[in-house]
Amino acid sequence: MLINEPRVVRAILWKDFTAIRRSKAVLLPMLIVPFVMLVLLPAVLGVIATRAASPDLSRLFDKLPHQVVEPIARLPQHEQLVVLINGYLLAPLFLIVPLMVSAVLAADAFAGEKERKTMEHLLHLPATDRDLFVAKVLSAYIPALIVSWVGFGCFLVVANTVSWPVMHRIFLPTTLWLLMIFWVAPAVSSVGLGVMTRVSARTRTTQEANQLGGAVILPLIFASLGQASGLLVLSPVVAIATGAALWTVGLLLLRGGIQRFTRDRLAGSC
Amino acid sequence: MEGLAIETVGLGRRFDQLVALADLNLTVQPGEVVALLGPNGAGKTTTMRLLNGVLQPDAGQARVLGMDPSTNGDGVRKRTGVLTEHAGLEERLTARENLIFTGRVRNIEPRRLERQTDALLERLGMADRANDLIRGMSTGQRKRVALARALLDDPDVLLLDEPTSGLDPAATREVVDLIADLAAQGTTVLLCTHFLGEAGRLAHRMAVLWRGRMRAFGTPEELSTSLWSGLRVELEVDLSAQARAIEALTQLASVLHVEAARSGLSLVVPARDAVPSVLNELHHEGIAVFSATPQTPSLEDVYFAVIAGIDD
Repeated sequence: MLINEPRVVRAILWKDFTAIRRSKAVLLPMLIVPFVMLVLLPAVLGVIATRAASPDLSRLFDKLPHQVVEPIARLPQHEQLVVLINGYLLAPLFLIVPLMVSAVLAADAFAGEKERKTMEHLLHLPATDRDLFVAKVLSAYIPALIVSWVGFGCFLVVANTVSWPVMHRIFLPTTLWLLMIFWVAPAVSSVGLGVMTRVSARTRTTQEANQLGGAVILPLIFASLGQASGLLVLSPVVAIATGAALWTVGLLLLRGGIQRFTRDRLAGSC
Repeated sequence: MEGLAIETVGLGRRFDQLVALADLNLTVQPGEVVALLGPNGAGKTTTMRLLNGVLQPDAGQARVLGMDPSTNGDGVRKRTGVLTEHAGLEERLTARENLIFTGRVRNIEPRRLERQTDALLERLGMADRANDLIRGMSTGQRKRVALARALLDDPDVLLLDEPTSGLDPAATREVVDLIADLAAQGTTVLLCTHFLGEAGRLAHRMAVLWRGRMRAFGTPEELSTSLWSGLRVELEVDLSAQARAIEALTQLASVLHVEAARSGLSLVVPARDAVPSVLNELHHEGIAVFSATPQTPSLEDVYFAVIAGIDD
């Protein structure tokens, strides 16, 4: 069994969610970044793309990978720029949201408890190390998924709405988009969490954890950008495989985290 | 070990090269209040963590309420209440929410939890701040909420780490009274502190820790007996008869030492019951005695004598 006492996990989730709701320092980056990336940017770029008078993209296509160009080139010329921006160029940005939100919340859940000197009280409660760890992971993971999925819902509405004058149809989400949202994004989130649980074990403050975690996560963000661009033009099978690889990395990191998450180790660093 | 609330045998813990605690042998009877005294870094908090199964020992063993905290930490923690040195309250929650959270983890039945929460916040003078965020509270108010939280599940053993640090004198008195009440009701209390006043008021026995080692353990009387031979008594006498009094008392077998003092005489007798014979002798010599005050060593005297012994 992953959890010994579900009530312990529920109680910690209630405490952490209540605390998150009341913390501007945590809540604002968690909401502003997804708003900019998934609402504002698609709206502005979408409007610009729809107002452009059927530009000739052939010179741009020459510089893009063949896999990206081929499906777009098959579309009518007036739809090409809209689909290129909303369907392909903006898509990778989506993966940054679950990665960032899970990292911010994990830093608050683990290093933040040490910084606020609340960790020791948790350690003195009748709860197993495993239940404490699972609760802390879920208190970062669940909001990360909720923010990502709600953000994606907003993106779909915005992208389809601003593109309607050109597209006259709902063109998002595609199958690959759905795979990204429900398979790759949760996997990316698990990687962010895994990294931050490891980083937080070595730091005493949220700021330290964010700085150190950022150094590890930024390359992952860039890697995900490149990878995501490829995902969208490759087959769903590759998306599934990439998600599986990320899940493997994320779960391995979390397994390492749970092994290191012991009262003895934590009390020594409180 | 039968019947003891707490027992440790050779308990020890290192952090790398640092000896946080070594060879601790401690017994605490049910309902007893034992003070762990010592400066910062003496090993008080480490002892508390070891007893509650938060740290694993690397030498010796401990039993709390008959359970081994290193193998049955959750069993021990279900029956202990802990006040950590830093109150450790979630600042973004209210006082009530902090207690409710702890009660839920402790699996306290919801209606009992509500009742206990209200009663404890009332008892600790925090009822009017129950729904305020911890963020806006003073150190003393936080300490009271944290103490209420420690008492939430009617613990058999209370582990209190500096319960009055940061409190004003009135609040300190209230907290000390509360701990005294709990002890009177049979709760075992292990009190880690460097405030000797509260330890002297509350503790049946005291252990002096110094750099991870226990240097003395017993009642203040036992410790003073081991530190000093005899009882010091201050006598207020007619100063003009001071020299004659010293001469008379020097002859008396029950007087171990006598010297002049500002108010008259300072002497050492083997025990309290020697005082009447001293007074009789002076009366017989025609020397007026205005007062006789046995100087029982205070906890402070004992503590500093132990520490001085270590320094020597």
